[in-house]
Amino acid sequence: MTTRASHYTSPNQIDAPQRRTRSWNSLGTIIAWVVIAVILLITFFPFLWVIRTALTNSDAIFSNTSSLFPVDPTISNFERVLGLVDPASVVSQGGANVSAGVLDFWLYLRNTIIVAGSITIGQCLFSAMAAYAFARFHFPFRDRLFVIYLTGLMVPGIVLFIPNFVVVRQLGWIGTFQGIIAPSFLMTPFAIFFMRQFFLGLNTELEEAALLDGATKFGVFWRIALPLMRGPLLTLAVLTFIGSWNDYLWPLLVGRDESVRVLTVALGIFRQQTPQGAPDWSGLMAGAGVAIVPTLILFVFFGRRVVDSVQFSGFK
Amino acid sequence: MTTAKVLSVSKSNSKTSLQSRFANNEKLLGIAFILPSLIGFSVFFALPAIRSLFISFTEWNLLSPATYVGLSNYQTLFADERFWRSLGTTFAYVSWNIPLQTVLAIFIAVMMERIQNSSFLRGLIVLPWLLPNVVVALLWLWMLDPTLGIINVGLKAIGLPPQPFLGSPDQAIPSIALINIWRHAGYTAILVFVGLKTIPKSLYEAAQIDGASAWKQFWSITLPLLRPVLVFVLVTSLIGSFQIFDTVAIAERNAGPAGSTRVIIYYIYQQVFERGINMGLATAASVVLFLILISVTLFQLRFLRAGQSDLADYS
Amino acid sequence: MMLAHKRIPVLLVVLVLGLLVGVTVTQAQDSVTIKYMLWDTNQLPAYQQCADDFHAANPNINVEISQLGWSDYWTAITTGFISGDAPDVFTNHLAKYPEFVQLGQLVDIQPLVERDSVATDIYYPGLAELWVKDGQRFGLPKDWDTIAIIYNKDLLDAAGVDPAVMDSWTWNADDGGSFYQTIAQLSLDANGNNGLSPDFDPATVTQYGFANNGMGGPYGQTEWSWLTATTGWTFNNGLWGNEYYYDDPRFMTTVQWMADLWLQHGFAPQMEQQTTLGRSALFQAGNVAMVSDGSWMIGTYAGSDFPVGFGRLPAGPEGRKSMFNGLADSIWVGSQHIEESWSWVKYLASPACQDVVGDSGVVFPAIPEAAQRSVDMHLAQDLDVSAYIDQANEADGTFLFPITDYGGDINTIMTEAMDNVGLGTGDAASLIPPANDEVNALFQ
Repeated sequence: MTTRASHYTSPNQIDAPQRRTRSWNSLGTIIAWVVIAVILLITFFPFLWVIRTALTNSDAIFSNTSSLFPVDPTISNFERVLGLVDPASVVSQGGANVSAGVLDFWLYLRNTIIVAGSITIGQCLFSAMAAYAFARFHFPFRDRLFVIYLTGLMVPGIVLFIPNFVVVRQLGWIGTFQGIIAPSFLMTPFAIFFMRQFFLGLNTELEEAALLDGATKFGVFWRIALPLMRGPLLTLAVLTFIGSWNDYLWPLLVGRDESVRVLTVALGIFRQQTPQGAPDWSGLMAGAGVAIVPTLILFVFFGRRVVDSVQFSGFK
Repeated sequence: MTTAKVLSVSKSNSKTSLQSRFANNEKLLGIAFILPSLIGFSVFFALPAIRSLFISFTEWNLLSPATYVGLSNYQTLFADERFWRSLGTTFAYVSWNIPLQTVLAIFIAVMMERIQNSSFLRGLIVLPWLLPNVVVALLWLWMLDPTLGIINVGLKAIGLPPQPFLGSPDQAIPSIALINIWRHAGYTAILVFVGLKTIPKSLYEAAQIDGASAWKQFWSITLPLLRPVLVFVLVTSLIGSFQIFDTVAIAERNAGPAGSTRVIIYYIYQQVFERGINMGLATAASVVLFLILISVTLFQLRFLRAGQSDLADYS
Repeated sequence: MMLAHKRIPVLLVVLVLGLLVGVTVTQAQDSVTIKYMLWDTNQLPAYQQCADDFHAANPNINVEISQLGWSDYWTAITTGFISGDAPDVFTNHLAKYPEFVQLGQLVDIQPLVERDSVATDIYYPGLAELWVKDGQRFGLPKDWDTIAIIYNKDLLDAAGVDPAVMDSWTWNADDGGSFYQTIAQLSLDANGNNGLSPDFDPATVTQYGFANNGMGGPYGQTEWSWLTATTGWTFNNGLWGNEYYYDDPRFMTTVQWMADLWLQHGFAPQMEQQTTLGRSALFQAGNVAMVSDGSWMIGTYAGSDFPVGFGRLPAGPEGRKSMFNGLADSIWVGSQHIEESWSWVKYLASPACQDVVGDSGVVFPAIPEAAQRSVDMHLAQDLDVSAYIDQANEADGTFLFPITDYGGDINTIMTEAMDNVGLGTGDAASLIPPANDEVNALFQ
């Protein structure tokens, strides 16, 4: 414990003296709050606009643009997006700017969770293992291999899409979950780069001490290094999860089938389902609002844990 | 400190025996640890990339057999004025996007560190990044509309002339950059914030005693010690920025007004999906993009001396 | 420790197995399922009805319809060709099909047409022939569209414009004719002056007389093709031509006249405004009195908050002209069920299905009697859309979509050049000729 404390000081312990002693006075703190408030306002206005537009009657969407509040408020957009009312009937009743699309929300939600969940678990585990090996172990071609991995980070995604598409097709995985998941299941260069940075920053003394105590290298990884990396690992998990959650082009290419269609693809398809005219803004914003609710809920839970782990309380 | 001393003594004593005990084990274990990622990398990154390189020397529409055409795709590419313009457009986008976003992120992170350790606040700031690109692009397309968009309604309300934003060749790229800064600045700030938290507070206390101003502390302690995180942030965001596509594809039609937002990935995309599955030319263009990304990153890594943390200088 | 050591490989095996097990097993079927694809959601209910009727008559053939929006649709078709899972039958567009023919992806149905003696003369004249190249046939007609002027009745009333003016209005590239006068009369500045007044201030326009969605790229179907055609100009040297005539002075003067509506006169929204949200949004916001648009958009305009009318196109030097664009259903060459697909295509092109589509009113079917049903359906809802069908029936009132190779390349080149004209970067006379040279170089 002493060894750790000499290099990593828990922020919680030092917070109180820090505030007294650092030269920034309370004026600085006030300025910081004001700045953050402005940034939050800029961050949040578009979210309010999503809600405002989603609640606005689609017939009135273009006629009162300056109102900060929903015009002729209605929840019909949500009803129609979720398929609670038949959109075809809305269209046939002469509803303007109305997409006839429906989000089969629960199905797409389930699909998205399967896809994002599998990718997150696989990618975090295998990338952490690889990153640890790169950071700690000596084996042939280690550094060269790492540089090659890093190079992979720079290969434009569009280059990989077509050959990968052909590979997935040869595997017979078009329109299946494994087809969507496979390319990012075992690694991404980013995840390995990310974890390696943190492993490098991790003090080796604890691990060396464990080795002295007779632990195996694997045991050190599994029992000491990995738990110590709980923070970064969770961060990576959330990053990966959200990344896969929001991914659009690849699932569109291999997973158009209704049975495996994820939310973004469904939303993209929904977006285009207006009769070649102006987008169905109110329906679209309702769809967007609905599509991000699960992520928001997840973030409310995991976000806290990430931020906690960010403060390196995991080192206790 | 005493424990550390003892540890280092015992370490040097047993070093040889430890190494011999675990040397073989480590090699095998290393390979075992790398294996899954190696499979993933080979099948879904390396082989496709190498395959692309080969394709760039052929004429191929994916449906009939490819024919070897040597360097002709590269010749066509370098003679295509649109290709050079798309590179210029991409550089313009990157130079709007990255400096603004990074500076803003550091600024937000420092401000957040000033005020309480509110994880709630950090959660709020990262929210835009949760939205799919599809949604972000459409939302801003709607808000930035020249006639009906709320931004222009607001501009008019305070007596400023309405702006065309995404509809004008001059403003389209900066607008797209701003949209993506809105989405990414908070997320980048969180990464920087993680870096800020790893800086030992004792360093600031020492600087405090030496009478250094907050500004000086930022330049002499915060920024140098942020280097590993900044390298990470810059390398990844720069690579991402060069590959900007989603926002352009969704917020603009036909490569933007007068082709002003045809970034390099869009150029490649058009070769495949809009100009008759021109795989050879598309892959040739992506090989060029790849070479650019490699050079920029290597330059950046060297310039910022990645990998080593300045923390070592202080301990 | 050893236990933990072993856990990873086990986990790996489990995960990989999990991946493999998910592979779907195709089950044997007695009946055949055909995949059919279209892009317009509004048409989905009508074609679903056709599919149900078709299945009732052919119990061994199921038709599975899927729908994607315009650009996803073409990406899906293209990737489907590559991956081998393209739909058996799909709705095809004239701008796209030459490329598919070149890639060898469409079934030549001419032998089947001859074998089954399918009548190809029951459609509007010319529609069936659009899908023939070198004696090969790649689709049977399903619907068509023309262009008309859509107007906001309230705004016309307020300006004292009688919609009847549209029955006889004229246009020419020199002074714009009475079409131009009407547009001017319907444009208002902040002081309430209309465009005919010498005091009209183009900088403070509050209501625009006209909008057409910008420059329209290479074809200008709804934007300018109905003006350029009245000057006697043609796109190129005919069906499957290899030379475009964009550098013809008649073409360049016309598009410049159109761009000047916003660049000089302030009678139309700037191109930036028109292209981002689109003309239907501007129209529905009540900022624009008249727009030109195609018959597939009737439903959208009919849903406006205010009363809407459909008027005839202005008559130019050589009369009234509208592009006559037709869609068809094509069979993919990789289909495992070409015979069943052919039955479905035949049914789609038959009066039985086209009457159903006509009754739904979403589009004008290729068979004249079925198209009339569509007009009747709208009339029953007090909406007179005869402007579209009158144009189609008028002698010499239509011209066909310019079908040539290199549609994608021509689109890229011309969209850029036309945008520059619309943005006022330069004038048509200097910007268009180099682009035309680039287009014609494609055919060398």
